[in-house]
Amino acid sequence: MRAAVQVQTPCGKFGLARANRNCALRTDSTSFRLIARLSRKTNRSQVRHWAVKTAMFTSLSDFGAHLHSRLAAFGDTGSCDSFDDSGFDRLSRSLFRLQFEANPAYRAWSESRGITPETLSSWKQIPLVPTAAFKELDLSCLESGAASRCFHSSGTTGHTPSRHWHCTESLAVYEESAAQWFAPHLLKEADADGDLGSRESDGRWPILSLTPPSEAVSHSSLAHMIATTIQRFGSRDSLFVGALNSNGDWVVDTDRLLFALRRSLCGNRPLILMGTAFNFVHFLDLAEQRNLRYRLAVGSRLMETGGYKGRSRELSPGLLHSELSRRLGLAPSHIVTEYGMCELSSQAYSHAAGASPERHFHFPPWTRIQVLSPETGKEVEDGGIGTLAVIDLANVWSVLGVQTGDLAVRQGDGFQLMGRISQSEPRGCSLMTA
Amino acid sequence: MHVPSLPHLFLADLPPEAPLTPSLVRDACISVKRNRAQWLLPRRTSELVDIIAYNADRWLQADYPLRRIALQSGAAELGFSSPTMARGLDAFFRQLTHDHLIGWLAQDLGDSRRLDEFAAPASELRHGRLALARGPELLAQVAAGNLPVSTLSLMVAGLLLRSGQFIKCSQRSTLLPRLFAHSLAELEPKLGACLELASWPGGHEAFEGAMMGEADCLVVQGSDTVVEDLRRRMPSTCRCVAYGHRLSFGFIAGDVLGTFLARKVADRAAVDIAAWNQLGCLSPHVLYVEDTGTLTPEGFAAALSEALVRMEQTEPRGALRPEESAAIDQRRSLHQLRAAHHRSLHRDAITVPRGAFFEAPTAETQVWSSEGSTAWTVVYEADPTFRTSCLNRFIYVKPCRNLGDALRRAEIVRGQISTVGIAATEGRAQELALELARWGVSRVCPLGRMQDPPLAWRHDGRPALSELVQWTDWEQASS
Repeated sequence: MRAAVQVQTPCGKFGLARANRNCALRTDSTSFRLIARLSRKTNRSQVRHWAVKTAMFTSLSDFGAHLHSRLAAFGDTGSCDSFDDSGFDRLSRSLFRLQFEANPAYRAWSESRGITPETLSSWKQIPLVPTAAFKELDLSCLESGAASRCFHSSGTTGHTPSRHWHCTESLAVYEESAAQWFAPHLLKEADADGDLGSRESDGRWPILSLTPPSEAVSHSSLAHMIATTIQRFGSRDSLFVGALNSNGDWVVDTDRLLFALRRSLCGNRPLILMGTAFNFVHFLDLAEQRNLRYRLAVGSRLMETGGYKGRSRELSPGLLHSELSRRLGLAPSHIVTEYGMCELSSQAYSHAAGASPERHFHFPPWTRIQVLSPETGKEVEDGGIGTLAVIDLANVWSVLGVQTGDLAVRQGDGFQLMGRISQSEPRGCSLMTA
Repeated sequence: MHVPSLPHLFLADLPPEAPLTPSLVRDACISVKRNRAQWLLPRRTSELVDIIAYNADRWLQADYPLRRIALQSGAAELGFSSPTMARGLDAFFRQLTHDHLIGWLAQDLGDSRRLDEFAAPASELRHGRLALARGPELLAQVAAGNLPVSTLSLMVAGLLLRSGQFIKCSQRSTLLPRLFAHSLAELEPKLGACLELASWPGGHEAFEGAMMGEADCLVVQGSDTVVEDLRRRMPSTCRCVAYGHRLSFGFIAGDVLGTFLARKVADRAAVDIAAWNQLGCLSPHVLYVEDTGTLTPEGFAAALSEALVRMEQTEPRGALRPEESAAIDQRRSLHQLRAAHHRSLHRDAITVPRGAFFEAPTAETQVWSSEGSTAWTVVYEADPTFRTSCLNRFIYVKPCRNLGDALRRAEIVRGQISTVGIAATEGRAQELALELARWGVSRVCPLGRMQDPPLAWRHDGRPALSELVQWTDWEQASS
């Protein structure tokens, strides 16, 4: 931040910090006058440039509305000009400034890392909050009473979940972000096999979700994301076939699932299947038990996500996909893996349905990832292993910098998942048997 | 790990391209039993003790070639730096003296001659009772992964008991058991022929079935799941001796926290944290510090961080695998975030409740850590509840009013505690040891010696040798 460095000299670091905190909540002209008064010796055009660049959003609502429009534009035109390197840098620094002001826990964390909006010179310096912190700290910018929805992380019983609070505006951004990156990966019309026009005449798809409906699991960001896609892209016969059992575990209503699959087969209509990996293992177990094998209509596709967390037997991704391919008659290219978490508002996908399946995930253009060496905290080289961190602009009312609990291999601007970082299970020499 | 300079004596020496099969495992077990009957069973205890002590002496020499391989390759295979490895090996091999070995036999069997002949201590002799102990024919061992010395210690026990041995090493660390077996084979090839070492992924039913089918005693060091799994598959002809998961902690009494002594105590604590990179069951997860000393528990945490800086200069921790560093990094970040949050609450007097969903951590936290690496971390937490560390030189310092207070806070791990290292004046140490024993701790030792148990220590509170032997009692006719 060139201009900021220059204005620091005459005013002193702390005076400027106070001034900037104020100006983030003022109009552009007010903040410009304030800074100009504080830095008379500074080049005025540079100050104006700085003020326009950093105080272009007067509030998180303002930022959220702007981002929402850019996401919609991405959906309409596929344009990601707003999120090119300079655009992303500008937006992320603006959002950091707003969150620094509105989120005391994030401000305290940033200050302890020596980062303030004034010292931040690149999005790469944005302080990252470990996902574990969402379990115990209020990392929300929302005022008390403003939150209308809270997404929880899934996990084993007895564990405190992460919590990500949302309001109407933040949900709108969440939904736009989810839908706009879902569409190019799951709704692509021109598949590798040249299949075109496999959707309903109104352009909508039958979507079959193996998760419980969003209303039944209101804390699940995944169920909300699926509900959003059904609302936006699903035909009238889209449905959730998951439910909660008496223990609160997610189960699949097998009658409804098999009915929906048969209906799709009878009409030879392609459909989109969505669910967690353990949902699909439950389906595979059922298929094995009843000796079921389907050949879904050409163009059908499947999105699986998430871990197992002890809710079913565990299969490696390769085996899960080959079994699903065998039981459902789906090409491996049409089985897409999603990577998401309640602490983020954007998701990553392994590939677009129909494209050659790879195991490299990509987040949307309104995010950036870093794979950081846990030893040094520096970014690893391409092909190196480290902790995955995501800067997500769609996390408008929480924190934009999130350090995930996952190890990843950096692959260009994408990543390959290596697994969860062990959190807190007790270990001693006896536990090292392997 | 393939070490080219070692001859191919054991299955574990074979290059990766030579596949292991269940029948190879079975044949190896049968050969070991045959060799044991021929060459090991007739040996006298005194001869074996001499060989073991002589071999240990060689391992203590800096220029002993196998030691040099261990120090050089140890870092690559196990992640320990050479000085850490050297300290650990020295501590272990220094114990293997003639006197200690005889003392161990006498302690666990009542009389050191009992493996050679019928013998008894005076209390039994008075009643005309003698006994002879027999070791297993084939002692199988499923060895722990990270810490080599417990495997070596059991190999020594097996030799003393004249047992043939099959050691299933962890895939990550076959090197030290192999080097130790080679050192014995160098001295006496016939003894080497009574040992076999191999390695395969844990839980491989065919390999483990072949091994357990031939063994009459199996020692397992592993998690409850591993032990349960093996027990389920074990034939009735095989006896199981299991060493489960254990944790340890330190206790520092207020009376040794004077200005002068505190630095020494911190140095001793640093030794325990650095030894085998804290990976053993005997390494501390938490240091409880009495808040009655001149130095506060927080002040002690700061002194400990300085001691760990010094330790890192002389005994660096070494490189970790990414998942291990990441576990430290994650936990460190979380504690640093808590610390920052706590500071901000006090400094800016931010109103804490921001609606019903705010749950601020109430405990005060401070973090000291190495710059630019995960080499060491000290976390001070005012919340005294016992917490397991992610290890590799990551320690919690927690305040307590007294030992009773600390034990109440460690109640969640009661029954799982192996060792408590204490720093206290002589007068208080006895009182503390008694309180710890009654609470269920199986070993109490001075701080600084937690990872350095004597050869004859009772592992998990049980005498190691007598767990393995079977007895023949001879009640003599009264004259």
